[in-house]
Formats: sequence, structure tokens, C-alpha cells
Amino acid sequence: MIDREILLEKVKTSPYKPMKGRIIKAEMLTEKEKFFRIELEDKVNLAHEPGQFVMVSIFGYGEAPISICSSPTDKGYFDLTVRNVGTLTSRLHQLGEGDTLGIRGPFGKGFPIDNMFGYDLVIVAGGLGIVPLRSLMRYIMHNRNDFGNVQLLLGCKSPKDLLFREEVKEWKRRAEVKFNCTVDKADPDWQGNVGLITTLIPGVDINPMRTYAVVVGPPIMYKFVIGELLNKIIPDHQIIVSLERRMKCGLGKCGHCQIEGKYVCQSGPVFNYAQLKDFKGECHEKAA
Amino acid sequence: MRTLFLNTKDLPDFLNNLSKEYSVYVPSKIKGKGLPCDFGFKLPTHDYLWEKLSAVKKEDLAFNDYRSIESLRAFFTRSKEKLVLSDNENKIAVFGVKACDLFCLKIQDFVFSGGEIKDPFYERRRASALLISGDCLSFKEACFCLALEINPYPGEGFDLNFSVLENGFVVDVGSDKGEEAIKASAALFAPATSQALAQREEKRNALARNLSGHLERHKIPSKDVLQEIVKAGYESDIWQAEAEKCVECGACNFVCGTCHCFLLAEDRFGNAHERVRLWDCCSYANFARVAGGANPLKLRYQRVRNRYLKKFDFFPENFAISACAGCGRCIEACPAKIDIRSVLRKLNEEKSLSAR
Repeated sequence: MIDREILLEKVKTSPYKPMKGRIIKAEMLTEKEKFFRIELEDKVNLAHEPGQFVMVSIFGYGEAPISICSSPTDKGYFDLTVRNVGTLTSRLHQLGEGDTLGIRGPFGKGFPIDNMFGYDLVIVAGGLGIVPLRSLMRYIMHNRNDFGNVQLLLGCKSPKDLLFREEVKEWKRRAEVKFNCTVDKADPDWQGNVGLITTLIPGVDINPMRTYAVVVGPPIMYKFVIGELLNKIIPDHQIIVSLERRMKCGLGKCGHCQIEGKYVCQSGPVFNYAQLKDFKGECHEKAA
Repeated sequence: MRTLFLNTKDLPDFLNNLSKEYSVYVPSKIKGKGLPCDFGFKLPTHDYLWEKLSAVKKEDLAFNDYRSIESLRAFFTRSKEKLVLSDNENKIAVFGVKACDLFCLKIQDFVFSGGEIKDPFYERRRASALLISGDCLSFKEACFCLALEINPYPGEGFDLNFSVLENGFVVDVGSDKGEEAIKASAALFAPATSQALAQREEKRNALARNLSGHLERHKIPSKDVLQEIVKAGYESDIWQAEAEKCVECGACNFVCGTCHCFLLAEDRFGNAHERVRLWDCCSYANFARVAGGANPLKLRYQRVRNRYLKKFDFFPENFAISACAGCGRCIEACPAKIDIRSVLRKLNEEKSLSAR
């Protein structure tokens, strides 16, 4: 954990100053999403938890919170996957191998891996939700014996939007993960399910008391997926979600990511449903 | 705590001595456009603005009757600043700080000096600054500190505190820094007599009595229920009604002493970019907007509500005090006349009606 101490020291002396990260691999995954593998100065490990995020900056263009999509067990580098949606991200998309960018972090609380030890897992990813969940999936694959059955449910708009296609195939091939996928709109080659991700959940076979469900996706998805999971009688604190807010400083100071009594950058982005229930503005059981 | 006495005529000398070590800021009286009192009280409307001692003429040097128009936080986090620790930043001494300002500073301390990671810029300025507070001698229409159980005279958090009597000041020394600051002017100070202390007590009580008389008419709910009523009123129509008036100018945020939200950005200085920190403001539409356009505080009423939730729910939850000092600056600054006192009152009335 020596790397963590180096990073903490850096943050303490100059909390707003980014470290230098160098892109060692960059490729387009789909039309809109680009994958980056990044190495920090002095090859310091990020020493993050799956589910945490970093602040990525390009000088003169701004800074944004981006989920880490590699596992802490991937040493020497970390991965990001970025959709091109704004000023910073479109600039990011122009960067390639050898370019540098600013990194601060890691920030926030990740998935409660220690609590999940020995449990079965249902992992539900909608759209870009697979990005933070890839860090969890990779962690699971590297520590496969620590967990029970793992089921991955994946939903996206159309087959061409499917991220990490090869990797997902690999997970499936190793037969250690049950995998199911659905698209909102199929193309002629598609042979899988068509429909919303909620339609996959009634079909999963689980023992609710021994199961953690981890859900990441767009806000609208949470409402319905959580409703389905509650129908399966999974206890509130075993339903895990990750929320998106406008993290600006990552340190619990700038105030942007507040939800009622909590800062997402400190208490989140990962929350369990027992916590989420108290947030009046967030997904509610009404939908169930 | 040591209590001393300073003659009125010696104040300029004391401040001048201070200016050898500090950049001294003093309140200067300006013509205000304060609110008229709805209840017919003749309340003062002039204002005070902090200025550098060197810019204020000796005869204009005044003890401020009440708080100045800007909040104290501007001395510690600038509205826009480069994020570079510079070694030649002057130490500041601020004269004319009021009890509400000191209360607000508690919140700023919690935000910037609390937690695992501290803000080095804030910490340095805060540690070196000398805070010279004073009792309020009067109050404005918008003042409502007493309703939040904050006295209009400081009890803690200052380095020196000045209480005005007929011919001089009773000076409390509240810290080692304060002790150090009067060393150079030791000859000007005499021990305070018990008569002077009794006189001060009388003055303080008289002002508190007047202020509570004024506040009675505003029917501000008591401090203990604020968190409860703001939470209970989550679905209330009051937010919509207030938001209809709001023009999203951000004045309430920028004058507030407990507001602390900021943005990190880069800005151009000559030919180079520098990292800067800017005050941000939760009334703005883009405050919580995330990449791709989703916005959890999309509607104006959500943002108005969020401001109250932050002050009366978030801070009590995390820091055990609510983040409002009752300074009333937001009431005066609001061009739409949104009045925090009446919002709280309406929330309270609504809650007690629904409880029936």
C-alpha cells in the first residue's frame, strides 16, 4: 500500500494539483467511446478500489470525474473509458498514445468488496454502466474464488454499442460467469434478447439472502431495476448502485455533488439501496 | 481571557501600530440602500464596507454599528484566485468583525480545514489573520441573529473584541495572537474597571432586548425546528412560489458568509494558463449538471430548495450546527425580495397546519 501513501501525501500538500499521466494505449471501442490505458509518473500504482473515480484534466480544457475501469489488481497502469459528450471529453478523444493528461485521485468509496466476500453476485450494467463495473468484473476474475456464482446482465441501445465485447466473451467462455445480454434495438445479425434490461431480471435464479446485486446505469434504469430486485427479496443493503454527480474537487469541499446530507465524492459514488432510500429525489419504490 | 480598556482617541494609533505587521482592513461607512422596516421601526440603513486602513481618512475611521455588506469569507477564499501558494502574501488584520461573521467562519473552517484533506490556501490565511471583532451597537432590518440563538456580541472565535462605551472600548483578548498584537501598543491599554464591564453588560442586554422585540414580529421559527421543517417541507409548494421570483443572479450565494461552493478551472493569464478557483453558486442552472446534460437540480425550485437543505439539513447532519448566522445579507441582496425569514416562517406554518 506504499503507493497509496505516496498519492495521499501528494493530495495533502497540493490537493488541486493534478499528477501527470501518460497514455500508453488508446483505442476506439465504439463510435463514441474511447479506451485509454494510463501510466502515472514514476509508475505509481493508483491503488484504487473498484468503483472509485479519478479527476481527469487537460490543461485549458477543464477537469471531469471519470470512473476507473480497471481493477487494482492490474498493476502499473489503469484504464479509463470515455464517451465523447462535452468540451473536455471531445478533446480527450483527440489524444493518443504518448500524450499526457492530468490525474487527481482516486476519490470516493468503491464497491463494498469486503462485504461481498463469499456472496453470489448479480451485476446489472446499463449502457456506460459497464465501465465502472468492468473494474469490479476484473477484480472478480482475478479473485474468482472469493465469490460465489456471478451473473452479468448487460443492456445497451444496439449491438454496436456493446462495450468490451471481446472481454465479455472471454468471461463467458471461462464459464465462471453466467452472462445475459439485451439490446433495445436489434440489428439483422443480432441473435440475443431484445428489450429493456428489466426483462432479464425475473429470469435470474438467486438465493436473495446470499446475493449482492450491483447495478450501474442511467438514473432512469435504477428505478425499474431496483424494483425488480426488490421483488426478488434481495435485502436493501445488498443492492448496490453507483450515482453520477458533478464532482468538481473530489475532496468534499466544493459542494457540487451534494445529495441531501451527503457528498457523493466522499460517501459515494457507490451507495446501497438502504442509503439511497433516504434520498428523496432519487429512485423510489413507487416504480416497483 | 484578559479584559482591557482603550480610549477612543487612541484607536487610530493602535490600528497604525498594527499596520506595521498586518494589512489592516477597517469598515468605512457608505450610503446604503438598506430595506425599510415593515413594522415602522426607525432602523439605520447605511452600510459598511471593508477597506484598507491606508485608504481611509483618519476622521472617517468608524466603529461599525453592525456587520458590513460583504462577508468575512472573501478574505480567506477569493472570488477568483490562482491556486499557487505564494510566500509574499500579506498577513491581514480585519477590524469590525461581528458575531455573525465569526459564526460563519466556523462553517468555513469546517469545510476547508476539516476532513482528511485540508485546503492549504485557506489554512495559511486563516492561521495568520488577526480577527478584531466588536459588539453590535445597532441592527438593520434584515438582522435576525438572535432568532438563531447567536448573540449580537461575540463570545468566542476572535483574537480581540471591542465593546464600545462612552469614552472608549472594553477590549477582550481572546487568543495568543491577540495578546501578541497589542504588545506594540501596550502603553495605550489600561485594565478594564468593573464599572466599564457593568456598563458593557447593560449595553449588550439593551441591544438584545431591542433586537428580540423587532424579531418577534417576524415570527421566525425557533432554531431547534429548522432542520425538521425544511425536511418536512420537501414537497411543499413554497419552493415553487419562491422560485417564481428568483432570477438566478446568485447574489444570495455570493454575499453569504457560510456559502463555500467553488469551481476549479483554468484561466488565461497573459500567454499562460493557470489553475484557478472560482466561487460557484447553487442558484445557477448548471450547478449540478453532469456530462451529457443530465441535471439533478434542473428546475429552479429544486435549486432554491437545495440551498435551504444545504444550510439547514446538510450542515446540521454533518457538523451539528446549521449554516445560517442570521446576518440577513441575502435578504438585502436579493433583487426579487426572497426573504429567508419568511420562507422559514411559511414552512413552519405549513408543517403545523398539516400536523393538525
